[in-house]
Amino acid sequence: MRPVLTRPVATRAERPYRHRTLRHLATDMPRRQLAYLLGIVILSVLGSTMTVVWGNEPLLGLDLQGGVSVRLAATEPATEEMLDQTVSIIRDRVDGLGVAEPEISRTETGVLVSLPGVDDQERALSLVGTTAELRFRPVCGVTTTVRPETAASGSWSGVHAMCSEVGSGAVVPAIGADGYTAPEDDLADHFVVLGLRGDTAGQRYLLGPSVLTGEAIADANPLFIDYQWQVGLDLHQGQVGVDGFNQVATRCYVGDPSCPRLEGLTNGRLAIVLDGQVVTAPSIRAPEFQHDAILISGGFEKAEADDVSLSLRYGALPVELEPENTRVVSATIGEDSLRAGVVAGLIGMLLVALFIVAYYRILGLVALASLGISGALLWAIIAHLGTQSGLALTLAGITGMIVAVGVSVDSNVVYFEHLKEDVRDGRTARSSVDRAFPIAFSTIVKADLASLIGAGLLWALTVGAVRGFALYLGLATILDLVATYFFMGPMVRLLATTRWFADHPERFGLPASGAVPARRGEVPSEVGA
Amino acid sequence: MKTLRALYRGESPVDFPLLWRPAVTVSVVAVVLGLLSFVVLGLNLGLDFEGGTSYEVRAPDASVADARELMADLGAPEARIQLVDDDLVLVRSDVQDPARALEIRDGLVTGLGPVVAFEQVGPTWGDEVTDKAVKALVVFFIVVAMYIAVRLEWKMAVGALVAVAHDIVLSVGVYSVFRFEITPATVVAFLTIMGYSLYDTIVVYDKVREIVGRLGATERYTYSELMNLALNRVAMRSINTSVTSAIPVLSMLVVGSVILGAATLREFAVALLVGIAVGSYSSLFLASSLVSVLKEREERWSQIAVKVRNRTADDADGSKKGTRTIERSDAVGADTRAAPRRAPGGGPAKRRPTMTAPTGGGVPPRPRKKKR
Repeated sequence: MRPVLTRPVATRAERPYRHRTLRHLATDMPRRQLAYLLGIVILSVLGSTMTVVWGNEPLLGLDLQGGVSVRLAATEPATEEMLDQTVSIIRDRVDGLGVAEPEISRTETGVLVSLPGVDDQERALSLVGTTAELRFRPVCGVTTTVRPETAASGSWSGVHAMCSEVGSGAVVPAIGADGYTAPEDDLADHFVVLGLRGDTAGQRYLLGPSVLTGEAIADANPLFIDYQWQVGLDLHQGQVGVDGFNQVATRCYVGDPSCPRLEGLTNGRLAIVLDGQVVTAPSIRAPEFQHDAILISGGFEKAEADDVSLSLRYGALPVELEPENTRVVSATIGEDSLRAGVVAGLIGMLLVALFIVAYYRILGLVALASLGISGALLWAIIAHLGTQSGLALTLAGITGMIVAVGVSVDSNVVYFEHLKEDVRDGRTARSSVDRAFPIAFSTIVKADLASLIGAGLLWALTVGAVRGFALYLGLATILDLVATYFFMGPMVRLLATTRWFADHPERFGLPASGAVPARRGEVPSEVGA
Repeated sequence: MKTLRALYRGESPVDFPLLWRPAVTVSVVAVVLGLLSFVVLGLNLGLDFEGGTSYEVRAPDASVADARELMADLGAPEARIQLVDDDLVLVRSDVQDPARALEIRDGLVTGLGPVVAFEQVGPTWGDEVTDKAVKALVVFFIVVAMYIAVRLEWKMAVGALVAVAHDIVLSVGVYSVFRFEITPATVVAFLTIMGYSLYDTIVVYDKVREIVGRLGATERYTYSELMNLALNRVAMRSINTSVTSAIPVLSMLVVGSVILGAATLREFAVALLVGIAVGSYSSLFLASSLVSVLKEREERWSQIAVKVRNRTADDADGSKKGTRTIERSDAVGADTRAAPRRAPGGGPAKRRPTMTAPTGGGVPPRPRKKKR
C-alpha cells in the first residue's frame, strides 16, 4: 500500500521560497550527495589547516630558489653497491655545507646531486666534483678542547719530536674558527686538526703529514674474529704498499717522535683519513705486518666495520665520477622565476575567473569554488610531499599545474554546456541537472584518463624536468576528478533544488527553459487534455 | 561574431563537413611545410641536447663586442653571445670539459661581471634524454591508441592519433621555422600540447558518440550530418576551454617574459599557445573528418547515405550545396533513447513506425506501474 497523504500539500509554485529550509534541501536531494559535498569541503579545509599547523611548505626546486645541481657519470661501469656507497660518501661531504634539503640520488649510470639554496656554490662544486684521497697520518695528539692556542699549552695529550714541531710553534696547523682545519687547507704535507667521522663528542685529532695514501690498499673486508667485528686490511706489495706501511708501523710501534705514544697507550696511533675526517685511528700493535694479515679492531658494530672497510677499499669514491651536467642558478634568478611563475599564475587565474563568471554566472562561481577545492588539496599534497619526502616543486611542475587549471576548468565547461543543451532540448533545469551530470562525468573521466595515462608513462619513462611536470599534471588531474565528482556535481544539484534556480535560469548562465517553443507550446495542451 | 552568438544560442550555424576539405588541404600544406623546415633547417638544439656550456652574466655596461673579446682571450672564440634584457649577457660555447668550463666561468666573473647562472653539459647527456623521450613517446602512442580503441572505437583512435601527430608536427615546425631553441622545457611543452590535443579530441568524440547513439538509429541522417550536429554542439565548449587554457599561458607570456624578464618562459609560452589553438582546431576539423570518412565507408552508413540522398532529391532543390543541418526540434523528436535499442552494426533494418503527430515530445507514454 502506498502511504496516504493526510493534509493538502502546497504545490511548488505556491510554496514560498523563504520557507525552504536546509532540512528541505536535505530531503530534496540524495543524502549521499550532501555527504559528499560536506566531506570534500571539510577535507579541503582540514587539509589547508593541517598544512599551516604542521608548518608544511612546498619545497622549492633548484630553478626556483637557486642552487647547484651536478649530474655525475661513472667513467666505467659501476655496480649498484658502488654507486650507493658513492651517494653516501657525497652525502657526508655535503652535510658539512649546511644545505637544507640536499638531494643526492643514484641514477642508472652515476649520481645526481642537487643542492637547492646553497650559498657557497664554488665549494659545493669542488666538494662534489673532486675525488678526495685516502691518507694515513700519524696521530700527534687528541683533545676535546675547542681551540688550543698552541699545542704546548698542555691540552694536547702528548706531543713529541716531529710532532713537537707543532708544540714548539715552529709549525702551526691551519685551524678555522670551529677549531678544525678547513678542507682547502687539508694538504698532504701539512699538520692538520681533524675530527672523527660520526663523532659527536668533539674530539680533535692533531695529525702529522701524510705518510701513505689509499693507493697502498688492495682490499678491505669486515671480519668476525674473536667474537668481535674487525676490519681485515690487504695491502699491495712494494713501497707504495706493505713496505711503506711497515716503515711507518715500526716507528709507531716503538713510539718514534714522528708517531708518538699518547698518554696511557703503549704504542703510537696511525689515523686513516678520508675527506677531512678520521675514519679510524688504530694503535699499531706490531712492528711489522704481512701484506694480507692486518686487522683493525676497535669494538666495531657490524655496520661500523662495513662502513670502515668500504671507505678503505674504495678510497675516496668507489667509482671515478665525471661531471656530465652542471647547473648553477643564482638565488636572484631563482627568485625571479618563482615570482614570474606566481604572478603569472595569479593574473591568469584572475582572468580565467572573470571570464568564467561572466559566461556562466553563478555556475561560474561554482566552477571557481571547485577549482579552489582542488587547489587547496593540491597545495596540501605538495606541501606534504615537499616537507616529508623532499620532493621539490620546479618550474616545470608549476607549468604542469597551470596547464591543469585549463583542464580543470574544462570539466566544468563540459558539464555546463551539456546542461545548456538539455535545457534547450526542452527539459526543465532541474531534470537536466540530474541527467547531464553522469553523461558529462563519463566524458570527463574518459578524457582525464588519457591525461593520466600520459602523465603516468612520462613519470615512469623519463627523467628530470619532464618527470616533475608529469607528477604535478597527474596529481592535478586526479584532484580535478575528485573535485568534479564530490564537489561540483553535488553543488550544482544542491542549487538546482532551489526555486531560485528554476525561476532565474539566466543567473546561472542557462537559457530559459523550453527554448523549443513550437514543441513546448503544443505539448502541455495535449498532456493537459 | 554572428556565428559565435548562434553557437552560444545552441544553433548549428557552422557547416563543418563543408569546411573539412579546405581544412585538410591547409593542414596537409602546413604539415608538409613543417616537415620540410625540419629537414632543411633542422632544429636549434639547446645545450642539454648538444652538450656545451652556457653562462648568464649580469653586466649592465658590457657590449657584445666586449664579451666576444673576453671569450677569445679565454680561449673560446667560437662562443655565441647574446644580450638579454639590457643587463644580462648570455654566453654559449661548446666547451664540454668541466674543468675548462669552470676556468672560463672564473674569467667571466673577473672580466665581465657576476655569473648568475651557469650550465655545463657533457656530450652523452642529451642522447640519454632524447632516447628516453622518444621511447616514452612511442609507448605513449601505443597505449593511448589502445585506450581509445577500447573506450571509444578504433576508427576514432586513428583519427585522434592523426590529429595529435598533426599538432606535434606543427608545433615542432614553429620551433624549426623561428629557430627557437629546444630545451628540456620545450620537450615539456610538446608533451603538454600532445596531452591537450588528445584530451580535446576525446571530448569531441564522446559528444559524437552520444549524438550518434541518440539519433543514429532513426536512420534519417548520414554520419556526416550527425557529426556536424555534434561538432556544432561541442564547438562552444572547445572555444571556452581553449580560452580558459590560453589565458594562464598568455599571462605567463606577458607577465613572465615581458614584464619580469624571465626569458626562458617566452618561447615556451608561444609554443603552448600555438599548441592550444592547433589542438582545438585539429579535433574539430581533422580528427572528426577522418572518422567521418572512415565511418561513411561502413556498409550501414553508406546505405543510409544513399537512402537519405534519394529522399532529399525528391524534396526538390537538390542544387543546394552543403550539409543538411538537423534542426533542434528534429533532434529532440528523434530522440531514440527511450526506445528499445537495436543491436548495432546490422544493416538498415525495418523502419520503425514514426509518430506522425508529435504527441508527448516523441517520448512514448510511460507504462503504468504495477501496484505493489
